[in-house]
Amino acid sequence: MNMKILVPTKRVPDTDQKIRIRPDGSGIDEENLPYVVNPFDAIAVEEALRIRENSNDEVEVLAVGIGSDDYERELRTSLAIGADRAMLIECAAALDSWNVARILSVIVQREQADLVLMGKQAVDDDSNQAGQFLAALLDWPQATFASKLDFTENGLRVARETDAGIETVVVRLPAVVTTDLRLNEPRYASLPNILRARKKTIERLEFQQLGLEIEPRIQLLHMEVLSTGRNCIRVSGVDELVVRLRDEAKVI
Amino acid sequence: MTQTADVIVIGGGVAGLSTAMQLALRGTDVVVVERERLGNGSTGRAAGLLGQLRGTAESTRMLMDGVEIVKDLEQRANVEIFVQTGSLRIAETPERKREIIDLVEMGKSINFDIDHLPIDEVSSKLPYMRTDDLLDACYCPTDGHLQPAELVSAYIRIGKSHGVTFRPNCPVGEMIVEGGKVKGVLTSEGPLYAPVVVNAGGPWSYLLAELTGTCLPTAALGHCYLTTRPTETNSVDRLSPAVRDRHLRLYTRPESGGLIVGMYGEEAVEYEMKDLPVDFDMSAMTTRRDDIHVARLIYAAQQRFPWINERTPMTITTGIMTFTPDGKPFCGKVSEIEGLYHCAGFCGHGIVQSPTIGVIMADLIRKGETDYDIAAIEADRYFEIPGFQDRAEVKTKCYDMHAGYYGRVEGKAD
Repeated sequence: MNMKILVPTKRVPDTDQKIRIRPDGSGIDEENLPYVVNPFDAIAVEEALRIRENSNDEVEVLAVGIGSDDYERELRTSLAIGADRAMLIECAAALDSWNVARILSVIVQREQADLVLMGKQAVDDDSNQAGQFLAALLDWPQATFASKLDFTENGLRVARETDAGIETVVVRLPAVVTTDLRLNEPRYASLPNILRARKKTIERLEFQQLGLEIEPRIQLLHMEVLSTGRNCIRVSGVDELVVRLRDEAKVI
Repeated sequence: MTQTADVIVIGGGVAGLSTAMQLALRGTDVVVVERERLGNGSTGRAAGLLGQLRGTAESTRMLMDGVEIVKDLEQRANVEIFVQTGSLRIAETPERKREIIDLVEMGKSINFDIDHLPIDEVSSKLPYMRTDDLLDACYCPTDGHLQPAELVSAYIRIGKSHGVTFRPNCPVGEMIVEGGKVKGVLTSEGPLYAPVVVNAGGPWSYLLAELTGTCLPTAALGHCYLTTRPTETNSVDRLSPAVRDRHLRLYTRPESGGLIVGMYGEEAVEYEMKDLPVDFDMSAMTTRRDDIHVARLIYAAQQRFPWINERTPMTITTGIMTFTPDGKPFCGKVSEIEGLYHCAGFCGHGIVQSPTIGVIMADLIRKGETDYDIAAIEADRYFEIPGFQDRAEVKTKCYDMHAGYYGRVEGKAD
């Protein structure tokens, strides 16, 4: 079965770096901040590539991003890793998950995708909503927190990581699947692919062309740094540790 | 905070820590000031390969003596630092074969344990390596690698027990110089006074030298290596020999059941240390999944180890090295300022040079002389020499040195 997999990807600050909050609390300080593809989305791209590599049919992998011009760089990363196409929806406004899902639903329908694979959440705001909203807007089945995917005669079999254990479900296609950490380990771009990706064109679509109005449902009011409150002391030995844990920390 | 000491060492990497420890062992009162954590920086990212046979007999002697020093540190600190895996140089071109012939000849002339190794024996030592294209190889059983973290902890532990004071998170903002003599440093925690200051700032060393108007011709260049994660099909014995493949510009050694593969490529990322954030932490450096240097590394690694590709489970370690115009470090005084010593520019070989360098620095500081012939590594060898005073020129020369590091064919190739 020929298939088109659409992978929405978000550009997020590299969370390995020190993130600073703007003094007025209006958001994070973006100056000199390196960006990466949201790690869960990178897992989704990787899974799409593996599906393509293991399939006897034509599988097309389309990476989609919503944002400013700067996003091109991260979309090119997805191309370099092996995505067939990359598309940037040009949109300068800050979007909440609901509006992200609305934009994506239009793109998914325009592209007539058979499967949407995306990260279970973005590591910057940790909302964990866009995939679920998208499935609802499309009226498609969804499988969230995927840690294993298999194609079966009845559809796509997904192992879901839940707090209670692994839950296995089958969803008919088309479907939305959100990826969890253990689904796979994303690859690096190969040298030939990086060179190839440089020549590829990133398709661009202006947000206005989608015929949507942004209806923000969530407004960011304030951001502040949480004090770690760590207060380390050195103890002389196990005996003192036990006394302090019992009498001061009162945890044993 | 301690206000005075005999010697202030700036930089808590292996160069500074070894120098501080050796000074303390000789009874000197030392303070180490470090901008971040001890053992972070280039030290914290190093692979630690120890190839003792170098271009000259003296640099070989320094490395061989370093092994003896490390064995002593292991006993004192009760840690395993030196892993004696043996090492191989391999050749896949006639030029590289010639290089190996010369190397073995030179090694034997100074009674160094090295010899040619038949290719089928190379295969049996390294079943995970491609060997069908090799023309020659040589093997040195006494080589291996130093484990950087263990080496750091030994320097700190022994140093501390002999009175070294460590001041992490204490960056230096100014050098206090009066009448051509160094008097101390101004740190984030206030002034510190000592008649001797050692600049062991690694990639930051040229900035520290600039604080006194001294030009230290070093440049900060990016470097990365990969470490494969062991799998059922691909695991590497912890005593597998290190390999140097100069044609592919690769070095490799075992690490925790996986393989470290690093590359001295033709190109490197140049860093201007003063443009980095003041709280820059080298341990937080990451590479993009489409980084061209990583891709080149993986591409080259795959030529020698065909089971490695861009999908192999691995981690990429990236950091900054300090290169110099001739690939040799700067150890000692630059004549301008009395009491100011430099100890930096190890060009990716700081871990293995540090044990002996600490002895050399301690002797230079305490006695004004050392038993080693240090002409090649004297800090003032470019002092006031035209072409080595301007940052742009210095950077170009260091960059070219790095580009030729593995690429250049050495010896009497004809």
